[in-house]
Amino acid sequence: MKTRPTTLAVAIAALTAAAVVTGCSSSGSTGADAAGAGSGTVKLDFWGWAPGYDQSVALFNKTHPGIQVSFDKTASGSKGGYTKMLTAAKAGNAPCLGQVGYETLPSFAAAGALEDVTKYAAAAKSQFAAWTWNQVTIGGQTYGIPVDTAPMALLYRKDLFAKYGITAPPATWDEYAADAAKVHAADPSVYLGDFGNDAYNYAGLAWQAGAGWFGTANEQWQVTIDSAANQKVAGYWQGLLDKKLLKTDPSYDPSLYSDMAGGKVLSDVNAVWDAPIIASSVKEGAGQWAVAPMPVWDSANPVYGNDGGSATAVLKGCAHAKEATEFATWMSTDADSVSNLIKVTGIYPAATAGLSNTALTAPDPFYGGQTIYDVFRAESAHINTGWQWGPTMTQTATDLGDGLGQAGTGGTTLPGALTGLQGKTVAGMKQQGLTVSGG
Amino acid sequence: MTTAPPRRAAPASAAAAPPRAARRARRRGRPVALFLAPFLLLFAALYLAPIGYTVYQSLYRMHRSGLGLSAPTQAFVGLANYATALGDADFRGSLLRVLLIGVVQVPLMLLLALGLALLLDARSTLFKRFFRLAFFLPYALPGVVGAIMWSYLVAPGLSPITAAAHHLGLHLDLTSNALLGPTIGNMLTWGWTGYNMLIIYSALQAIPAELSEAATMDGCSAFGIAWRIKVPMVRPALVLTTVFSIIGTAQLYNEPAILHNVAPNLSSTYTPIYAAYDAVDANNFNAAATESVILALLAFVLSFGFLKIVQRRGAAL
Repeated sequence: MKTRPTTLAVAIAALTAAAVVTGCSSSGSTGADAAGAGSGTVKLDFWGWAPGYDQSVALFNKTHPGIQVSFDKTASGSKGGYTKMLTAAKAGNAPCLGQVGYETLPSFAAAGALEDVTKYAAAAKSQFAAWTWNQVTIGGQTYGIPVDTAPMALLYRKDLFAKYGITAPPATWDEYAADAAKVHAADPSVYLGDFGNDAYNYAGLAWQAGAGWFGTANEQWQVTIDSAANQKVAGYWQGLLDKKLLKTDPSYDPSLYSDMAGGKVLSDVNAVWDAPIIASSVKEGAGQWAVAPMPVWDSANPVYGNDGGSATAVLKGCAHAKEATEFATWMSTDADSVSNLIKVTGIYPAATAGLSNTALTAPDPFYGGQTIYDVFRAESAHINTGWQWGPTMTQTATDLGDGLGQAGTGGTTLPGALTGLQGKTVAGMKQQGLTVSGG
Repeated sequence: MTTAPPRRAAPASAAAAPPRAARRARRRGRPVALFLAPFLLLFAALYLAPIGYTVYQSLYRMHRSGLGLSAPTQAFVGLANYATALGDADFRGSLLRVLLIGVVQVPLMLLLALGLALLLDARSTLFKRFFRLAFFLPYALPGVVGAIMWSYLVAPGLSPITAAAHHLGLHLDLTSNALLGPTIGNMLTWGWTGYNMLIIYSALQAIPAELSEAATMDGCSAFGIAWRIKVPMVRPALVLTTVFSIIGTAQLYNEPAILHNVAPNLSSTYTPIYAAYDAVDANNFNAAATESVILALLAFVLSFGFLKIVQRRGAAL
């Protein structure tokens, strides 16, 4: 960082100082513009980054003259969007609505950046699967409306599976391990899958196995990242790494896609939103790719994982929380809005009615004309419902990403990394003043 | 750190000056204050206030009750954040790592820069202009671009260096844990040698040609001239580039951050700034402020300490 003349200290301080200054000047009328109040129209600001959200907002504005939403595109959450929202909330001038991933929602809640909209949202609860509602509810308080979910599946090369003698995609993790060995034995430069360094992808694998990380009880957070169930999942993947049966390219890195294009990595266990990413990143083999259910631990009782999904959250200080909730509910449930979000944003809807949306039945040429959403829809009913995210997920995800990267290169083992992560997460939560048990 | 030293106070004789002159000086002082005010105001608002606020933030901690779902309050914790930061093995590790990189890389780079500057300055060197520009060029590239270029040159599976080593029967992984430090040091050296060379070279240009001529007449070799005359005379430039490099190394961020994309084993607390950014992302502003203050103090102590040492030695000579 030699080109920066100032130290980080100055940068952070300037940011927070500016926030304090603006906070003083605009306290009182937050979120909604006071200007609209006189004419009877409620004005709401909405910060997010997903493409297509603005079109749903336009549809809403056309049909709801009493409420006008203006959508401001920010940097994506992990690239600074969340920091911007949190800073604005701290300064007391946050927008009414924000696009917040389920994994980050508890962090926002713990930062005091969310508005409790339980009473306005209660009516919408029945339109969503129970587990998605859990993602926007912490300690009995609801903070927003779910938009999408991200069931995971196995995306794979049909022709190359056949070439290496795999007749059916692995249905269980045991079969997955056996197939990984088979492929690698046939050609040592070829791997069944990649073990990347994306913490949320790994979380989906733990999620599937019922290996929860966080919980709340008796007004305390609970951290169980190195529980027995977690160690089982970690042990399984460590076993494959020890035998060098997986490629260890970084997640979503050009090297991974070049390996996929070259037929060196044959499959990826990933979320519904990864299907278009692979389609656009791996041109070779188009038409030969296919989607199968994610391998399960127990074929008699299949349970699947989830990697992603977000909510439209109502941020602290919103003067029109009722209208904000109304918009958020409409965006996630209105058929036209959902169609738009499926087509443009590429979401997999959280509203149960959205699952029968016709936009989900189009055959996909990259996946050999398969109607791939059928797989995700079938899985969606069997997603583990108990998963809860913690209030310091950004830190946990960064630390886990480090651990995954180290495990991939042999610097540490996964079970060891999880034990370290447990300690660090508990310490990090305590440092932020949260009450924690389990450490 | 980089601000100019304060202007020397008015000469002491002013105090003893006749009252009329003092009054005149006071009257003259008013417009001076008027002209200085905008600067001082901005300096205080944009420079001193943020630093003060950072220090202030580092003394507080968020206080929450239960699950922490109600708005948090700030509580004064004294130096507890400093104890936490310095007690954190990862943060200590990042400080040590930067120190180690600096101790090895800065002298190597400056030696290289000095060598190149002396070669450019030598009378017999051809194509001076071309080489001067060529050495300086890496600095003209934005640091991030250089970092991206190098990360592709060392990336496992893509690196031509690894491939060449493989042909020679060597197994070389430039992003392995052991080689991350040298790889980053190499990126820094590549990017900054030319910049430092230029500063030293300008200092060399200021040395009167007669000195070299006289030395030659006395039978001094070109190497002898460089070592005995030129190097001592560019000592201030060497001190300056060392101080710049110490401050720069303390702020190491670009290179590891970019390299992380191809080397997932590079931890997110690799350098102190990296760690502080992570703390901001994790909404832990107090920890970020604390880590920033520690880093700033370290950079200050190291650069200022270095200056003191060379000044003392300079005075003794």
